[in-house]
Amino acid sequence: MKNLIFILSTVFLLLVGCVPPETTFFWGDYSGTLYAYKKTPDEKTLADHKASLLLIITESPKKKLPVPPGVYAEYGYLLVLEGKEDEGLGYLDKELSLYPESRVFITRMKQAYQKGEGS
Amino acid sequence: MKPTIFLLTLLAGVLAGCTEFITKHEFAPNMYEEHPMTILVLPPINKSTAADAKEYYTTTIAEPLTNMGYYVFPMEVVNEVLKQEGLFDTETMFNVPPQKFKEYFGADAVMYVTILEWNTTYLVTSGSVNVKIASELKSTTTGEVLWFYDDRVSVSTTGESGGATGLAGLLVQVATTAIKTAATDYVPLASKANQTILLAMPYGKYHKGYEKDRAMKIEKKKQPAEQAKK
Repeated sequence: MKNLIFILSTVFLLLVGCVPPETTFFWGDYSGTLYAYKKTPDEKTLADHKASLLLIITESPKKKLPVPPGVYAEYGYLLVLEGKEDEGLGYLDKELSLYPESRVFITRMKQAYQKGEGS
Repeated sequence: MKPTIFLLTLLAGVLAGCTEFITKHEFAPNMYEEHPMTILVLPPINKSTAADAKEYYTTTIAEPLTNMGYYVFPMEVVNEVLKQEGLFDTETMFNVPPQKFKEYFGADAVMYVTILEWNTTYLVTSGSVNVKIASELKSTTTGEVLWFYDDRVSVSTTGESGGATGLAGLLVQVATTAIKTAATDYVPLASKANQTILLAMPYGKYHKGYEKDRAMKIEKKKQPAEQAKK
């Protein structure tokens, strides 16, 4: 039995070894908190997900990585939904300056919120 | 020793396999022609029996796809914009010409995902997830398919019993499994499944391997007829 376990572990390690994790960005627990929020949308899960986004924003520079695509935009969007429009729009601008390819998307979001048509 | 030999033989068979390999460039030449930078992932069509599969997928796709080097629009906000365009239903979205998403989002490519299987198994001592996903990436310029892939991934939630044996060990394992198969624990598994499938994709511009992976070998997939006619 020990042999089997040894072989299985070795094989597992080999298989894992074939797929080195490529980290271009730091995402913290983004998936976990977003899933919890989608599953049970309430104040607690929303606060947790916002904390997750904020952690990505503060930790990425420490890891010498850019903030991942969409994170500033999502954080800004959540702030706008809470009524913190100025702060939220500020984060949308950050998304645009870091990722100029988001121009169409960000411009569209900003137009919707500046007209007061949010959500 | 016999089971060991059997296992090794089986393993050799699996590893050698009947799979055919192909370079990324041969498999997806259009990706290297168009160089899409921005990808819009639409909410997936769920053909599995698991009601939660859609949420598991949408919350775990951004991380591996951006790590492949692409700009990915945040799903939460994307849903909002789609609603503004009157698009609520996934089937309807799949029938919108890809070019429209360039207009709405400035996306270079749209990813269409079908969840074919999402099975969570609960046994006394283990929990596992078997996932089969088919992905198709279409150009918003030409409307043509740039890349597609499907794969079945199986991930287990157990395996950390710490070498405990006997009845006591079994009890410990049961308790661990019960805790570990809680809903949110499937998130890392979903993430892993997504990551595995995306490795067959050419790298995008934020990846250090961008433009250097043409010769990288991947398992060749046939475009499923069902996908092709979309």
